[in-house]
Amino acid sequence: MGIILKVENLEKDAILHQISFKMRKGEMLAVMGPSGSGKSTLLYNTAGLDQPTGGKVWLRDTEVTALSEDEKAKLRLHRMGFVFQQMNMMPRLTILDNILLPAVRANKEKGGVRRTKAELTAAALGLMQKLSISGLEERSITQVSGGQLQRACICRSMMNAPEILFADEPTGALNRSAAKEVMQELVRVNREGTAVLLVTHDSGVASQCDRILYLLDGRICGELEMEREAAGQTADLTKKRREEKVNGWLSGMGW
Amino acid sequence: MRQNRSLEGGTLFFMTVSSMLLALTVVLFSTLLEAIDDLMDKALVPDHIQMHCVDNGFGEEGEAAWEAEKAAVAHFAGSRREIREWQICSFLNLDNNSVTLGGSSLTDSTQDNGLCVQGSRFDYLLDLESRLPEVLPGEVYVPVCYRSRYDLSVGDLMVLEGAGDGEGVELVIGGFLRDAQMNSMMASSKRFLVHGDDYERIRQGSRADSGRGKTHVYAQEEYLIEFLLWDGADAGVFAAAYAEAGLPANGPAVTKPLIRLMAALSDGTMILVVFLVSIVVLLISLLCIRFMLLLQLERDRKEVGLLKALGVGRVQIRRLYLTRYLLLAFCGAFAGLLAAFLLKIPLEKQIQELYGAAFDGFRTVVLAFAAVWAAEGILLMSVRRDLKRMDTLTALEALFSTREGQTGAGQYRLIGFVAAACAFLALVPQNLYTTMSAPAFVTYMGIGQAQIRMDIRQTGGAAGTAGQIAAALERDTRVEKYAVLHTVSCVATLEDGGQINLAVETGDHDIFPVCFGAGRAPIRAREIALSAMNAEELGLTAGDSLRLTGGGKETVYTVCGIYADITNGGKTAKAYRVEGDAPVVWSVVYASLADASAMDMWMAEYRQFGADVIDLAAYVQDTYGQTLEQLHLASAVAAGVAVSVIAVVVLLFVRLIVEENRHLISLHKALGFTGADMKQVYFVRGMLPVAAGVLAGLLLGSLCGESLCGAVLRSFGADSFRFVFDPVQTFLKLPAALLLPAATAVWAGIAGIRRISAHECCNAL
Repeated sequence: MGIILKVENLEKDAILHQISFKMRKGEMLAVMGPSGSGKSTLLYNTAGLDQPTGGKVWLRDTEVTALSEDEKAKLRLHRMGFVFQQMNMMPRLTILDNILLPAVRANKEKGGVRRTKAELTAAALGLMQKLSISGLEERSITQVSGGQLQRACICRSMMNAPEILFADEPTGALNRSAAKEVMQELVRVNREGTAVLLVTHDSGVASQCDRILYLLDGRICGELEMEREAAGQTADLTKKRREEKVNGWLSGMGW
Repeated sequence: MRQNRSLEGGTLFFMTVSSMLLALTVVLFSTLLEAIDDLMDKALVPDHIQMHCVDNGFGEEGEAAWEAEKAAVAHFAGSRREIREWQICSFLNLDNNSVTLGGSSLTDSTQDNGLCVQGSRFDYLLDLESRLPEVLPGEVYVPVCYRSRYDLSVGDLMVLEGAGDGEGVELVIGGFLRDAQMNSMMASSKRFLVHGDDYERIRQGSRADSGRGKTHVYAQEEYLIEFLLWDGADAGVFAAAYAEAGLPANGPAVTKPLIRLMAALSDGTMILVVFLVSIVVLLISLLCIRFMLLLQLERDRKEVGLLKALGVGRVQIRRLYLTRYLLLAFCGAFAGLLAAFLLKIPLEKQIQELYGAAFDGFRTVVLAFAAVWAAEGILLMSVRRDLKRMDTLTALEALFSTREGQTGAGQYRLIGFVAAACAFLALVPQNLYTTMSAPAFVTYMGIGQAQIRMDIRQTGGAAGTAGQIAAALERDTRVEKYAVLHTVSCVATLEDGGQINLAVETGDHDIFPVCFGAGRAPIRAREIALSAMNAEELGLTAGDSLRLTGGGKETVYTVCGIYADITNGGKTAKAYRVEGDAPVVWSVVYASLADASAMDMWMAEYRQFGADVIDLAAYVQDTYGQTLEQLHLASAVAAGVAVSVIAVVVLLFVRLIVEENRHLISLHKALGFTGADMKQVYFVRGMLPVAAGVLAGLLLGSLCGESLCGAVLRSFGADSFRFVFDPVQTFLKLPAALLLPAATAVWAGIAGIRRISAHECCNAL
């Protein structure tokens, strides 16, 4: 399987030290670690939201760390998606308009494929239906639940069909049932082919990923490879086993 | 409390500009009034001046009649207890065509220039040190307003061609004088002070010339019959008594308040504009400072909550803010005061030139201090009132309430409002200037809009000269149209039986119509139109009746219209003709040529008839030149203030908007929007309210500015005023002058977007 993301000796001030890892195409990778270990900083620097002080990051054959701010913005627009812990939706826009926002911007790109407004709306509504939030289009962001809002956020991140999705504590601000729903959607997105790099404190969330990196004091201290669930096993049984595996590994890491 | 350089810088700017403008208004106004009063006091300006010209020239018969009239005045003066002093001053009216001042001919001057000697008891002409100048034989003291106009200096020559024995007289300029009565260019006469011997020599020569019938003579001797009244005397009652006594009065009468008004108006217009600007800026400052304070309070909400939770009292928290604002007010007051005194130097230059530096330094400084602290006081009181909003906030609310932060709409509205106010501020003085400098403006002043005006002054020959000119005009194919108007002296009888002198201009007033505020011009017999001042004094409106005696015959006239006028003290009347054989005291001929390029030659030709022939555009320039210059300066100051205010406000608030929307901008960037995308969005958002505001301000200025300026111009006697638009100026230059700095300010304000990184949104909230 090809490599979609390559991180080489990444440094950020005194927070990250010589971080290197690779992500396979379609992989779902979790980064775990205690507070202050540099998980979110790693995510921002990998995704080109922040500029590292050393090291290199490649998205396929594009060296992200060598791009200008505007080039990085275009990269984020077309090839990356973001899901934030606090959702970060535009307060004055409806749910639908929020979801449409990156697509509308991408539609204005010179030389790009132009889609009509109806096409864009149809695509957004299709995503909303897939993530079970149909009917919320005209609601404001204060009129929906946290889980619904985070699913809308996933819809927004998927509008331009990104190659990789970055999620920073996507379930951190949600209750258990909402967190479960959101994770289901992220796993679904991943299974449909989008690589996902997520940062989490939740071993239950991490256990649904293909691989887990453990970060401590800005360094990768451990890595756990998880096998994908085999066909014929019930999801709950698999989930329980995976969680036990992750918890056991985390105990060994001093979690 | 968090320090915010933008908010503090903005507050300081508004505190400085408001205090500067208010201080400037007070200082200039105080300087002007004090200088005028000081000069009038030192010069002992008469309370009532009656101008008079002896009807029958210098013949023996005429002299005898004049002696009899003088005796009547003396008798009248003896019988009135309110008279403190009285005197009759002679004024030898010069023919401008034959006067050269420092090498420049006075041909183009529209003023009545004349020679006189120092008043014996009062109405003194003072030198630049406010002393009575000692004029030596062969010397002349020249009105100070001519110094810069003709670039004169002491030692230059004044040449009176053909004067004295016919060889001409040369006088050396011994100094410059301030004439409290006729200093303002709005006063139509100017007095040159000469030694008594020179005066007599030139006068006698004139008499001889008059006898030989030469054309260029100095034959026009006028008299100023002047009265100084005791304090508390009613000048109005005195004027009525003088008119009733049938004493010599074939020229206009002027009173001390009118002289003061004319002097004040010529420079006061500029101060009035500065005052209007200062009021608008104070209002803008109040609004902006209040808005910035509310923004600061919103930002400090959590800190305030913490202080409250720690037990710090409301008053102490308020004091923390007030101390900071007090400090800013001190800095603003100091900077404002300094700026006001610096800006005052060029603005009061003319006041000093015309009236002298008579102001009391200490008093001016005290007044400036008072104005500065009045401005700061108003701003601080508003701050104090807004700080009370914190009192109702509990520690819990302050600490745990969510951040509202949606002040964007308010900020955009404020930008729009300030842009509108600035456009208004820049447009109104500009339009006032354009209107006053437009050729049609003379019609608001009681003067027909012709190219040329010919004045044939008083004396028995006036009607004859006017007749000759009319005949010549009739034959002259170069003349497009003309009107001959004769002014006759009449007496109006009031309802209470009282009488006043009324100079009635007769003829066809429809050829060069003036601007009528009510009714229309008289077009048939027994119709009379009154100037606004006369109508007000007589208590008459269009449709009323007026009993008028001219040449011994009393006739009832119907008031057919009211018009604006400032000529002859603003008290004039117009009729188609006056019943009876009233004597013509002066005549005016208006003419317009088919080809204006040949006007100079044409005017020189008609001067041969012995009339004062003037180019009306030059007349307006002569009369209002100073006022227009001042107004031009004031409108430039207003435009400068408007441009600075709009630039600062836009820069400040766009920066604040960017600051407030930091999170959203960062989020947009995280989602793939570039810095240029965000700059474009905020540039449009910043410029939209500016453009809308400027447009609204221009519309408002065009609609309301007219009535506002109408109020100002009514004091000039100009009634029913309409703005004259310069479309290029109003709709192109002015918006560009405001929008370009505003666009630059928006651009500078959004520069900070570049520094907002995409990952900030992940940490926020």
